[in-house]
Amino acid sequence: MQNIFARLGSDKLRQWLPLATLVILVAVVGVMQPVFLEPSTLLQLASDTAVLFILATGVTFVIMLGGIDLSIQSMASLASVIVALTVARFGYGAFVLAIAVGALAGLLSGLAHVRLKVPSFIATLAMGGVLFSTALVTSKERSITLGDVDRSYQTWVTGTVFGVPNVIIIGLIVLAIAHTLQAHTRFGRYSAAIGAGEPAAYASGVKVDRQKVFAYVLSASFAALAGVILAGRLASGSPTLAAELLLPSIAAVVVGGTAITGGVGSIWRTLVGALIISVVRIGMTFLGVNIFAQNIVFGAVLIAAVAITIDRSKIPIVK
Amino acid sequence: MNAGTTESALSLVKVDKRFPGVHALKDVSIEVRRGEVIGLVGENGAGKSTLMKILSGVYQPDSGRIEIAGQPTRFENAADANRKGIGMVFQEQSLLTNLTVGENIYLGNEAQFTRYGIVDWKALYAAASRQLAKVQVDVDPRMRADDLDFATRQMVELAKALTLEEHASDHLVILLDEPTSVLERAEIDVLFARVRSLKTRASFIFVSHRLDEVLELSDRIYVMKDGAVVADLVAADADITTLHHLMVGRSLQAEYYREPLQKAFQEEIVLEVDGLSLGSAYKNISFKLHAGEILGIAGVIGSGREELARTLAGFAPHGGGKLHVANREVHLMSPAEAVDIGIGYIPRERRVEGLVLFLPVAANITLADLENLTRHGLIDAREERRLATSWVDRLKIRTPSINTLCFNLSGGNQQKVVLAKWLNAKARILILDHPTRGLDVGAKEEVYELVRAVTTEGVAVILTSDTLEETIGLSHSLLVMRDGEITYRAEANPGHKPSQIDLIGHMV
Repeated sequence: MQNIFARLGSDKLRQWLPLATLVILVAVVGVMQPVFLEPSTLLQLASDTAVLFILATGVTFVIMLGGIDLSIQSMASLASVIVALTVARFGYGAFVLAIAVGALAGLLSGLAHVRLKVPSFIATLAMGGVLFSTALVTSKERSITLGDVDRSYQTWVTGTVFGVPNVIIIGLIVLAIAHTLQAHTRFGRYSAAIGAGEPAAYASGVKVDRQKVFAYVLSASFAALAGVILAGRLASGSPTLAAELLLPSIAAVVVGGTAITGGVGSIWRTLVGALIISVVRIGMTFLGVNIFAQNIVFGAVLIAAVAITIDRSKIPIVK
Repeated sequence: MNAGTTESALSLVKVDKRFPGVHALKDVSIEVRRGEVIGLVGENGAGKSTLMKILSGVYQPDSGRIEIAGQPTRFENAADANRKGIGMVFQEQSLLTNLTVGENIYLGNEAQFTRYGIVDWKALYAAASRQLAKVQVDVDPRMRADDLDFATRQMVELAKALTLEEHASDHLVILLDEPTSVLERAEIDVLFARVRSLKTRASFIFVSHRLDEVLELSDRIYVMKDGAVVADLVAADADITTLHHLMVGRSLQAEYYREPLQKAFQEEIVLEVDGLSLGSAYKNISFKLHAGEILGIAGVIGSGREELARTLAGFAPHGGGKLHVANREVHLMSPAEAVDIGIGYIPRERRVEGLVLFLPVAANITLADLENLTRHGLIDAREERRLATSWVDRLKIRTPSINTLCFNLSGGNQQKVVLAKWLNAKARILILDHPTRGLDVGAKEEVYELVRAVTTEGVAVILTSDTLEETIGLSHSLLVMRDGEITYRAEANPGHKPSQIDLIGHMV
């Protein structure tokens, strides 16, 4: 077993493995169910992937610099509750409010991590609990369905442009912004440097703490955006709206080939990873796998992906 | 010198080892006799580490064989080599600092003290005491390893290696891999004395960059170059010049430290410290550093020079006194603040603090000065490539491309990337903290040449070095520190350099 993983882990192969996996999966599902390859199905697939991709994109920034954000699904759910509760009063301002709460939550997680020196998985696990309870309390533990008036504010999510669902366009805009941040700005470069070698980055004058806090702000803000979009698509807000999304999001990042240990990765990889997760999900639906059983598969996929992508020559010991 | 007996303890016969793209060992034969200390020298990449890994069972040879006392054998892995009497004392100390000395000595071998899963600690510690007595170290085996100084820990490692006597069927062979690199001279003397007194129990293979020590301790010396053994010398008949010549294929030049290139420094004062102090680390430190000057600071571990260097690099803010950089008083709270005012730090831990190993050469070169590469918030990729390429050319950094990960470069070229990073950031002051540690002779010379070149252009350097010879050879001015204070100052103009003896008197 170890040998298989070692061989799959050789450098050149590893780089193309995610894309190859995606192509093979699409082909396999397409052969089994030719309807899958029709444009309308593919558009539906892309729409369904958008929320997962946005969540995964946010957490990619944190994983790149060697941390983790476990609060994203609670943040997304809370954002949906905020929208459902305030859209009637604030209109579009509700979306801004939800994302601002996201930024604040990320700021607090980030500060707890860098100032109080709390490991990121603890800081964000705790923050996730806080956010989840906040969502439960403010929603009075129920799902809030959006009224007709409320829904009129959701057309930016639910509408289409020339037949292309807006949610796909939002996803592409997120891709463009996030890719630029990650690949072409100092923040992106510093993140990679911190993830690959924090002491050297620090000694080179990189303001490490500031970069880290910013990454957590991005992660939680993107999670809030994902929650806002989810609220629009499902026409409701609920404290458990995004409850099953943490595992697939992190799986998407890692399956795409971003190293869970930081330093190596990109937003493109996360896009490929999110598409793989979506195709697997649809494939399972075709195969009649119980929807509630899907995280069994994603859990297994996550373990396998990390096992394959950790470069043993660089990281011989993990804890 | 006692050259041991002629009875063979361990030998490699025509051992060959290849890795993808590298012929690491070419037909290597060496023999270690009972009671002998074998020196093993060679530049980085000569094959010493591969040879040590074969001897310790980490690698298996592609062809050739290993013999113990004349009998062919095979080491399946490190534990197997242990069982067959091969012990190791590493350069990076392998003691676990959160365990006691006794626990460390018997780590992984507790079974002999265990009944029904319960360890008989009393017996274990008694046995550990006996091991410590063999190396004449008088510490309580119940002490935690991190309460010991480095020299004592090294002795504990030796004691640990000697536990192999208890179950190895034959004579022990202990590999000493750069055991002196973190030790001071007096500690090295003690280590060597112990090794000599243990020759009745074991043979040793001693690997070190310090040729004088190899000559001092060894009975015979094998010189390696490019994966092959090029000489087998009796130590008593060899000298540094001969060894050096064999290792690099050219002789040590008189101008090793590029003294003819040492130019007078400028009038301009770039850094001034006045009565600087930090807790118990150093106190009342005052000096001026001029543009183009190399100021060497000598001192043993605990003299405070390391902490002083860290303060100037922004890692350890000073407590009292004044620090002026470019005529402005500063109190550096982080390396970022030091970098901002033109101070670059070349750390001893090159692979940890010097470079992001898993980023490309180009990204490392530009890391400290990305501000100037950023246009409208975006990094100018073309300009970055241009800059990186020009630094690779100017510093003759040997790398397949600017996109190669620094991990894949040799130590000398890695150090040049660190230097390029600070030159690219237009640092006016460089803190060189053991800049040639772990580099081979050729790479050291290149570093010296570059340091001379940048000081000629007005960059000021503060140097704390592994060897006094290097400190004296490179510096314009010298400070000696002891117990946190400056005890001696000297000029070091070419032709009028103080001797090592002059300085040592003020160090200890």
